[in-house]
Amino acid sequence: SFLDSLRSNADLAHVQINQNKYDLDSHGRGEGHHPCAPPSAILVPTSAHDVSQILSMCNKHKVPIIPFGAGTSVEGHVSALNKESISLDMKKFKKVDLPIDGILEDACIEVGAGVTRHELNDHLRHTGMKFMVDPGADASIGGMVACGASGTTAVKYGTMRENILGLECVLPDGTIAKCGTKALKSSAGYDLTSLMTGSEGTLGVITKVTVKLHPIPGHVIAAICEFDSLHEAAEAVATMRMCSIPVERCELLDESSMDAFRRYAASSGDGKFELGAENKPTLFLEFTGSSEAAVREQVTLTESICDDFGGSNFEFKADESERKTLWKARHNLYYASLALRKGATDAVLTDACVPLSKFADIITATVKDVKDFNLVGPCFGHAGDGNFHCILPIVEGDDDDYIAKIHKVNDNLIRRTIDVGGTCTGEHGIGYGKLKYLDSQYGEGGIKFMKELKKGIDPNNIMNPGKVVII
Amino acid sequence: MKILVGVKRVVDYAVKVRVGSHGVELKNVKMSLNPFCEIAVEEAVRLKENKGAGVSEIVALSIGPKQCQETLRTALAMGCDRGIHVQTDLRGDYMELQSDAVAKLFQKIIEEKEKDADLVLVGKQSIDSDCGHVGPMLAGYMSWPQATFAAKIDVEGNGLLVERETDQGTETIRIPKLPAVISCDLRLNEPRYATLPNIMKAKKKKIDTFQAEDFGIDLEPKNKVLEVFEPPARKEGIFVDDVNQLIDKLRNEAGVIP
Repeated sequence: SFLDSLRSNADLAHVQINQNKYDLDSHGRGEGHHPCAPPSAILVPTSAHDVSQILSMCNKHKVPIIPFGAGTSVEGHVSALNKESISLDMKKFKKVDLPIDGILEDACIEVGAGVTRHELNDHLRHTGMKFMVDPGADASIGGMVACGASGTTAVKYGTMRENILGLECVLPDGTIAKCGTKALKSSAGYDLTSLMTGSEGTLGVITKVTVKLHPIPGHVIAAICEFDSLHEAAEAVATMRMCSIPVERCELLDESSMDAFRRYAASSGDGKFELGAENKPTLFLEFTGSSEAAVREQVTLTESICDDFGGSNFEFKADESERKTLWKARHNLYYASLALRKGATDAVLTDACVPLSKFADIITATVKDVKDFNLVGPCFGHAGDGNFHCILPIVEGDDDDYIAKIHKVNDNLIRRTIDVGGTCTGEHGIGYGKLKYLDSQYGEGGIKFMKELKKGIDPNNIMNPGKVVII
Repeated sequence: MKILVGVKRVVDYAVKVRVGSHGVELKNVKMSLNPFCEIAVEEAVRLKENKGAGVSEIVALSIGPKQCQETLRTALAMGCDRGIHVQTDLRGDYMELQSDAVAKLFQKIIEEKEKDADLVLVGKQSIDSDCGHVGPMLAGYMSWPQATFAAKIDVEGNGLLVERETDQGTETIRIPKLPAVISCDLRLNEPRYATLPNIMKAKKKKIDTFQAEDFGIDLEPKNKVLEVFEPPARKEGIFVDDVNQLIDKLRNEAGVIP
């Protein structure tokens, strides 16, 4: 068998082979609603050389292989659609190339693909610099590249794509490829780094990444403001952008999300923001600057803009622990949303992104669908990017009708999104659940382009088959 | 009020420690500011930022090799005003330089260089030697009041009110008058990240260097280290097929049920 061939390879003697049932299960699922599809075995390589040997063997024997980071994907990225698939666990790739004296010369650093974003920032804690991309999960850097991840700071610092300078990856035939450099700009050849970004393990295995860093902001103020409608809130955000306010975070929560937020804050005992009596669409904002005056200026201007659009209860906080509490509650909205339906352990997460001018309409339409179908579905998102999520919790025992309605909400949303020139996924990726939307999103030519690339790089279709593009 | 803060350079808390022929392997190992010292620095800076406390100056003190200057720069970037480096190549992780000598060096610094120090803040222990001695020993040598494991420090009149964490609960200790020594525990505060502008400013702050041998103290260790070894490797767990097998193993192998 294939595993026997692996075991008889002396070069790979140190590579752990794990077939424990519980570990296989945990490697066959992410954090979305897709059913668990466990691989046949888990391999734990320790170097790019190990990965190269393993991929060559998989390629020769035509055994599918799925790179595994932190397991926090939400579109079924690691589901082993072929039962014989191998899971390639990247957890040993933890090297952080910090100089021994702790002083960074450039605003970048090379890290192993298995380092998680919280681990990285912990290593950097005395350097004055930080890795800014912040999806809710403590994902691995390699996984974040593969998924094209982003978070609440994308409005100012961009997504993963804008925050990496280069990477090292291993191709299906075992070739170790260097992509990008440490330079801030480059026109040298194809942009392989961008190609790998969002490739979801279908083109190769990422082993090292050079990430960009940014200075830790000196002065920070967080603010919230309630609005009577999502439209007015969205218009306030558009105006803020027109006034060139360099907002650090700009999140919009609908009434249902505010309900989830309040309950979470109440249960965790540290809800310190004075909100109005009822749940209203609310903007959560953060401003940073090099001086207190610079930040105050942004806050003052924003307050007057919010006021113009009927905003109320505008409140701001400079204290660090209060700010942290606020963003912690926002980052945990996924779990707070699940908690809105007792017994829910799974949810369908929508993830559409549209041009800013269409944001208010699209989120309002989804909120209406949720209401019309009588579902629980908080909607919240990155108002500054035109990207929002609707969390639709599923409880075991939900009847087919309820489940069908949940999927209809998502389907409607994506149809509307593509109609206005948006994308069916702003940050969560395609996995296998959203394959069906790519045709209408890109058309024949775009799909053909992707297929040619996949066929050229992975002719035997061993790299995470069944995801992103089918050949 | 003038505050003296102890900052120790130790193996970073996230490093997987290995034992070599001369004790813990330090070569090419990442070193950082001791986490409890970091909490002490943060508290000193917060006291200074709280105008009511009347803190005039914070001096950071580190004892060790030349790389302690990096540790001092971190403390300066967090908000200390000046640094003192007592240079010695003796290993501070209990192998060569031990608590008694360190406490005496602190005493010499206070008596000869920083006579007007009102408050000494130290971490409750360092994560390499885990002794927790320096705070209490220094208080003893100086005949100053001490409060250890501080989880909260408030200014009260001419003194301080300290909440002290123990396994049984929290005690409140009133220090009616300064000077005093306080050792800082985990829940006292969450240390700030130094920003780049502050890191750059810290490069210009003054660090005075003295040699440990010049203070006329016997630096020889009072305790002899006989052996340093890694704990035995944990035995791998096993899966059992059913409850009967579990009970059999608990009874006949582990001997934990009759």
